[in-house]
This record gives sequence, C-alpha cells and structure tokens, in this order.
Amino acid sequence: MILAPATIAEFSKALADANSRKAKIERVNLAALNRVLEHTPEDMTVTVEAGITLAELQKHVGQRRQWLAIDPPHPETTTIGEIINANPSGPRRFGCGTIRDYLIGLTAVLADGTIIHSGGKVVKNVAGYDLMKLFIGGQGTVGVVVEATFKLRPLPEVERFVSAECKSLEEADKLIESVMQSEITPIVFDLHQLSQQDGFTFVLGFAGTREEVEWQLVLAAKLGFTKPASLDHETAFWADASPAHRLSVLPSKIIEAIRGLAGVPFDARAGNGVIHHRGTLTRSADKPPLELTRRLKDAYDPNHIFPDLPL
Amino acid sequence: MHTNGPVTVSAQVVDALCEIVGPQNVIHGDQELLVYECDAYTIEKQLPNVVVLPRTTEEVSAVVKLCAQHQLPIIPRGAGTSLSGTVLAVTGGVMIALTRMTKILEIDYRNRRALVEAGCVNASVTQAVKGRGLYYAPDPSSQSACTIGGNVATNSGGPHTLKYGVTTNHVLGFEMVMPDGEILWLGARPDGGEEVDGYDLRGLVIGCEGMFGIVTRVLLQLIRAPQMYKTLLGVFESVDDASQTVSDIIAADMVPGAMEMMDQLITQAVEAAYHFGFPLDAGAVLIIELDGLAAGLERQTERVIEVCKKNKAREVRVAKTEQERLDLWKCRKRAFGAIGRLSPNFLTQDGVVPRSKLPEMMRFIRACSEKHGLRIPNVFHAGDGNIHPLILYDERDPDQVRRALEAGHDILKKCVEMGGSATGEHGIGVEKIDFMAMQFTKEDLDAMRTLRRVFDPEGRCNPHKMFPGSKRCADFAPRKQIAA
Repeated sequence: MILAPATIAEFSKALADANSRKAKIERVNLAALNRVLEHTPEDMTVTVEAGITLAELQKHVGQRRQWLAIDPPHPETTTIGEIINANPSGPRRFGCGTIRDYLIGLTAVLADGTIIHSGGKVVKNVAGYDLMKLFIGGQGTVGVVVEATFKLRPLPEVERFVSAECKSLEEADKLIESVMQSEITPIVFDLHQLSQQDGFTFVLGFAGTREEVEWQLVLAAKLGFTKPASLDHETAFWADASPAHRLSVLPSKIIEAIRGLAGVPFDARAGNGVIHHRGTLTRSADKPPLELTRRLKDAYDPNHIFPDLPL
Repeated sequence: MHTNGPVTVSAQVVDALCEIVGPQNVIHGDQELLVYECDAYTIEKQLPNVVVLPRTTEEVSAVVKLCAQHQLPIIPRGAGTSLSGTVLAVTGGVMIALTRMTKILEIDYRNRRALVEAGCVNASVTQAVKGRGLYYAPDPSSQSACTIGGNVATNSGGPHTLKYGVTTNHVLGFEMVMPDGEILWLGARPDGGEEVDGYDLRGLVIGCEGMFGIVTRVLLQLIRAPQMYKTLLGVFESVDDASQTVSDIIAADMVPGAMEMMDQLITQAVEAAYHFGFPLDAGAVLIIELDGLAAGLERQTERVIEVCKKNKAREVRVAKTEQERLDLWKCRKRAFGAIGRLSPNFLTQDGVVPRSKLPEMMRFIRACSEKHGLRIPNVFHAGDGNIHPLILYDERDPDQVRRALEAGHDILKKCVEMGGSATGEHGIGVEKIDFMAMQFTKEDLDAMRTLRRVFDPEGRCNPHKMFPGSKRCADFAPRKQIAA
C-alpha cells in the first residue's frame, strides 16, 4: 500500500494498523507535511517537516543568508525525507560534506506507529545513542522520518568556478595530484566526461570571502584552470531521467575506476573518489556485515512491512 | 539478569586470561586495581574484578569470547578520562583496557587517512602528520591523554566543533570486536571508498559509550591544516557582553574555528597557574580563533574586533606568533587543571543550550551559585552553546557535596528545559542517567534499548550505563562512595 498522511498522528495510526495486519508499505508520500516549523538564524538551525523540498528549505533560510550546505540533484522536486533516505550528494560534497554532517535532530515513525525523537535542536549533543544514523541512507526500511532539524551555514560572500580540460586520463591523474598538493581549498573538485566526444573536464569551485576566492583563482590559473565555468555539467548529467549508479572508490584510485568505465559518460567528485555513471553497476567486494544488518532490520521492522534494503 | 549482582571472576578465568594476553597483562590484585576504580568522574568508584591489557585485536576477541562463555560483563577502557563514569565497573567485571594498543598503523597522505589502534592518543595523530600540512580535527581538551577509541565511544568534540564537527564527522570506519567476540569492520575500509552500502552502522556505534562492543582499529579522515590562524582574546566587563559578542559574530555570517569563554573566577585561576597575562578583573574573556586562507583573514579579523568593541570590549589582543597562540590554547585546555588553586574538589558539568540562550543560561548559573552557596566558575565552548560550569566544593563537607550535586542538577534541568541537552560532550555514563527520562520520551528510550539489543543482546558490554533503571555503585559498595 501507499500512504500519504496529512499529519504525523494520522501516519502513526496508519502504520500501527498496517503493522498489525502485516500489510506491506511500498511507498510513503509526505507531500502534505511540507512546512518550515522553525528557523532560528541566531542559532543557525532550522526544523522542517520531511515532505518539504530542498529548494523550498533553501529559499526560506536564504532570506537570512543561510543555507543547508548540501547540493544533491533535483532540489526542486526532492524532499528532505528522500534525501535522508537515499543520502544523495552533489559537487559541493568535497568542501561541505553530506547530509549526515548537518542533521542534528529528527522525529520518525517506526513500523509499529511509535513516534520517536533523536538528537535535538542544538549542534552539540551526545545524549543517548545516535539513532539519526539509523535513517540516513536507510531507504526508509526501518522507519520514516517526518521532521528534521539541521545546522546551517552562512551563504558564502562569493562563489566562483573554473575549469580545465585534459586530453587523457594520464594527464587528468597528474592534474589531480597538483590540485591536492597546492594550497587552494576548493569546495568543488569535479571531473566529468558527459559524452565520448568531450575531453576530461575538471571543474574547481571556490567559496568564501572575496579575497580568499580571488587568491585561489590566481593559484588555480597557474595550474591550468583558466576558463570561467559553472556547475552546468551536473545539471546536464541529471537531466537524463534514467537512474544512475554511484561508485565510491579510494580517491587515489579514481582514474583507475574511470578507466574501468570504458568510455561510459560520468560525473565524478575527484576529491572524494565518488563517480556517478550510467554504465554497469559494480557492487563493492566489501560487503557490510550482513548478520548485523539483518538483526537491525528485524529489530525495528519485525513484520517487514517496509521494503528491505537492496544489498 | 545474570550481571545484576556483584560479579565474581574465578581463578580459572583469571588463568585463562593470562593464557591469552600473558600474565604481565592481567591485573587482579586489589592494590593494583585501585587505578581502575573510577575514571575522571570520581564521585562513584568500584573495582573491576580484573583488568586485561590485550596487545592485538585477536587477543581482544579471545578475551571477549572467554567473557561471553562465562557470562561476565566487559568494560572497555581507553585512557579513563571520561567525566561521566562511562568506564566505571558498576558491578565489577572484566575491564579491557586498550593501553597496549596505541600504534599509528598507516598514514595515507594522498588520501588523507590514518589507520590507528583504538588506544592511540588523540594528539599523537596530529603530531604525526602536521609536518605534511594535515591534521586530525576533533581535539577534545583531554587530547594529550584521551584515546581515539574513547573518542569514538563518546563522539568527542572539543573547542573546534563549531566549524569542524565532532568525531562522527571524521571517522570513516573501524574494526570492532562484538560482545560475542566476532570481529567486524564497519564503515569505509582503508583501501575502499568513503561511501559504503547498507546502514550507517559506523554512525550508530559512534557515541554508544562503549556499549556495543570494543573498537580496536579506527580509520580517520585527516584534513588540510589551515594556512593561517588568527587567534584573538577579547576582554569583557561581563559574561553578558561576551555572550552577546558570540551571537553577534554568528549573526554577521562569520563562523570562527572556535569561540571559547572563560569567566572571571576561572581566568584568575588560570592566570595564577600559567602567567599568560590574562587580566584578573575582567568579567569574561573570549578566545576567538579564525582559520583558513590568509587572504581571507585580515578583513574577518577586523570585523570580529569591531563586534567585540561594539559590545564594550575593554581590549582585544591578537596572538602575534604561533607560540603565543599555542600558549593561549594551553591555558584554555588546562583550565580544569588550574581549579586546584580555587577549591579542593569540583564537579565538571557539561550541558548545551541553543547559542542564542547563552546569556540567559549564564544568569541562571549565577543564580544557582547564590542559591546553593557555592562558587561556579565557567569555561566553555561559547560558539556551540556547550557550557562547562565548574561547581566548586569540598568533599570533606557532605553538605557541600549534596549542594554541588543539586546545583549541577538544576543547571542541567534548565539546559533541557531551554531546548538544549543534558550533555554536549561528556556523555551520559552513570552521571546523567536521571536526565535521560527528562530529555527523552519512553518511546525514545525504548528505541535506544532496541538498538543496544541488536549489538549486545545479552547486555554485558559496559552494562548499567545510560538508561534509567540501571544498577548504581552505591547498591553494592557503599563504603567506596562519597556521601551524597
């Protein structure tokens, strides 16, 4: 069944009911739970209902020159709940991290309808276990987040992008080395090839005060990054609606991994070793502990009304 | 439950432990065990039955398996710097100390990662890599003693969390011995990518206060050290002015690397101990550290100075050399050590309030101090609202002890009521068990208990911690307790 609750209380009841009948929940639509509940700019925190889109959240906190420092694809249509579930990320991952670095509190509903809270409204908090981590990347398989609190960052004064193109992967490898060795501190360090006709293009992004961005642009130019750029490559990659895979490798092995893609178009975080592509899915040889994973799932969703984690 | 009574460990088990780690690494005489009767939370004490010092993960696993066989509680221990009794052997048991597993195993400069044994001292990581322009960011004030394994257990913070986050933001993965002895790897591996399939098991274990198993090796994320620091000391007439300065800096869209406040009492003690030139008559001093690329810092520093002056700062000093900067931090990080000049004993409290509520909380603490007739100096991480009121008392006077505990209780209760937390860094341990029911609902606590059962179905790994209804030391060995 598909649930589309109007309130948390209604959702809790519906789940409790489904759980008692062991009815499978295919999907939960939280579009009705889409408000900003509280934005405290002085504390740099915001609490939202999980059905709000990322773009809506950013628009709201942007009024006070703050942002939730993540930039996954399709912010206009992706909800906070979906982002927590799937843990997607974007180019600024290199400098800003991912959603787990910003989530400081949540309210969730478990399979049996129980409403729980984890974390709180403050950026520093170690009371009790970190149950928030149960949900990040959990694909909604052990419960559903209905409200979330994030710590925010001030919007940078200035943000600039520059690019450089390499004809070969050997050249690209060397350029990665020189970027890592230099004193620049980019927030974006992407490498992409969106079609076989293109070369291998690096994009560097700098954010911060005017002075530090300008200083870095000068250094970047010396490394060969002379062309002003944007993040259009990211938009272009995700404009294709077909699903993409995410390959995560040790950053120093990224060129090797791209060779393995054998010409498939890709959009990669060169500094993180994360590659998005639409080639063949390769599962990592390292498996997570399956027994522990199973116990976790069984503990929170004994009747398996939520889908299983695809592993 | 079998572990609810005081534990006995047979001679047979002690022999078996000696077989595994070598007799020189098994401590079981009362005199030698005294060192382990408590951690830095000295109000409650209990001797473990035996302390084991394994040298390898395999030894840890074998010890844990033996304890599982004999249904014995196990208590992991790093350096024992916990301020909340996280390492207390409440009913006795087998304490597994990682004192012999301190090595830095591998440093991968290219990928900015370090693989260390869990007993590795926090500060030694940065020490090892700073020559190459890298460092390990989480820097709790106890970092010259505390271990990475301990940091994982308590999700340690420190003064730089405002900008850099806490332990969970810098640990990629780790090897862990489960309570049944199985050895697992959770999270990213040394030669693998940072994203792993499945649940964030690594994230669930970080901050579990040693209750899910024993972490043996940890893969750390290192980051590029800032090109430059600008460390300022603002001298203010009052804590209110200093607190307002913190708020105003945030409101001006600036995020310093750290903002630390010390009030008058603590500043006086620190000055007497370290002679740094702190003013003795200021209401509060605020250490503000900006970090990043030099190009950006000049203007930021000016803006911060402006904000300080707007809040009537008497003076603003800027550390002129790296040595001055380090000395300034030494005073802050060793502030607790200077308290001995003020009082024979003190209770370190640790609470959090929303940053914007700091001035209100400081006023409340002053009121508490008057109400209970005890001095309460304050040193804390003003940037993230994490307060450390230090409640001074003399343990030889049971009434003072009682009042100190009450004052601490009042302050933490207020933190929770103000939308904060009963603990920002030190954890719940045994000290704050009573606050769990104040801060969380029954359902929240049940969900946590469920998680504990997933990792430790028998509840033998660091038992009697965190949850209301736990056994307390006083139930077993009243003669060891300070009257409270």
